[in-house]
Amino acid sequence: MAEILVLGCLVVVCLGFFFVVLQVLKSKSKLLQLSAKDLQDEITIRKRTEELDQTIKNLQAEVMARKRAENELAKRAEELASSNKELDRFVLIASHDLQEPLRRAKNYAQLLEQRYKGRLDEKADKFIEYMVDGVERMQNLVRDLLAYSRLGKADLPFERVDLMKVARSAMQDLEAVIQENNATITYGDLPVVMANPAQIEQLMQNLLTNALKFRGDAPPVIGIIAEKKQHEWQVAVKDNGIGILPEYSEKIFQIFERLHDRKEYSGTGIGLAICKKIVERHGGRIWMRSVVGEGSIFYFTLPLRSTVGEPVTPTYA
Amino acid sequence: MPRKSIDILIAEDDPADVDLIKEVLTLHNGGLIVNISVVENGEDAMNFLHKKASFQEALRPDLVILDLNMPRKNGRQVLKEIKSHERFKNIPVVILTTSNAVEDIDLSYKLGANSYVTKADNLLDYQKNITALEEYWCKVASLPTK
Repeated sequence: MAEILVLGCLVVVCLGFFFVVLQVLKSKSKLLQLSAKDLQDEITIRKRTEELDQTIKNLQAEVMARKRAENELAKRAEELASSNKELDRFVLIASHDLQEPLRRAKNYAQLLEQRYKGRLDEKADKFIEYMVDGVERMQNLVRDLLAYSRLGKADLPFERVDLMKVARSAMQDLEAVIQENNATITYGDLPVVMANPAQIEQLMQNLLTNALKFRGDAPPVIGIIAEKKQHEWQVAVKDNGIGILPEYSEKIFQIFERLHDRKEYSGTGIGLAICKKIVERHGGRIWMRSVVGEGSIFYFTLPLRSTVGEPVTPTYA
Repeated sequence: MPRKSIDILIAEDDPADVDLIKEVLTLHNGGLIVNISVVENGEDAMNFLHKKASFQEALRPDLVILDLNMPRKNGRQVLKEIKSHERFKNIPVVILTTSNAVEDIDLSYKLGANSYVTKADNLLDYQKNITALEEYWCKVASLPTK
């Protein structure tokens, strides 16, 4: 009897043991299965993490490179600004210092002319004439260069400038020329802008002077119109003059660039360069449209400003 | 009673300008004897008035024509000194200078200048202005006794 019990227990224990082993084996295989998948995942994760790391490193390197480039650019911009300032100062000083000897040369050239014209010989008269003309032209160039370079100085803060008043004042100054040419100048509703009053007056006067000077056969008809755009005022000065070929549309704004013979039209060619400098110093743009034989329209913009003088929207220089 | 003669002191550092001014002053004066003395800088101008240094024999001028930009004491300083000096302040001083700057004009009159004339850009107007100056100060205006 006891032997059967012992045998029975043994069998049970064996079975139990067997069962446990089976379970362990089963779970181990499951574990193995799990490990295999896990391993796969592990590998993928690790790979992806490495890729991500690398991407981050690349991005960081790019950001660094960009930052360095930005710093370089800022430095260059600063260098350019300071060298521009120096250039402006140089031109200012040079043209100022040139005035004195030029004045002397002109006075005495004219004195020679006054005193000796017709008293020496024809050749001498010619020489004197050339000399006086040369010196006069030099004087005009230096005077205009001085005016142009003077625009480089700081002019803020801006004031309220009524463009209607500016137009009227310019027309008054040009009264004689307007009468001579039988010209008509009209203007629409012009706004009050924040600007440097003297410079805006100069701008207006230069544009009107040109419109009168480069007239066609018909009496000049000139119009000034203002349009409010999203962030700026756009002013147009329209004329019915001789017009300008499109290929010169940029050239005319360059300093001392003239399109015509000195015999045809006077002037050193600085008027529009001054206009451009003034407009750009105010944060605006200037350009023109024209049809030869029909007339031209000169446009310029002035950004809308708060009363403090800052543009309402940032201008992208 | 019209003047017979006038003593003018020109304080001007540019000899070319001096010649021009002298020419105009002596050319069209219709019988008036114009005695011109010239100094080239501010220091000499004051020495002339004080009869000091090399100007012991100097005559007190009836009129001073003064440039603003001179070396060794500029015109502004000279003007100030003349117009604050008991003995000299009644001498008419005409500023004749290249500057047409408002600041210069205002300051000159503030310091007591009797007149301010900008040297004209072209010869003809330059000559006309100096002639007008002479006409006014020598013939139209009366001058104080020395």
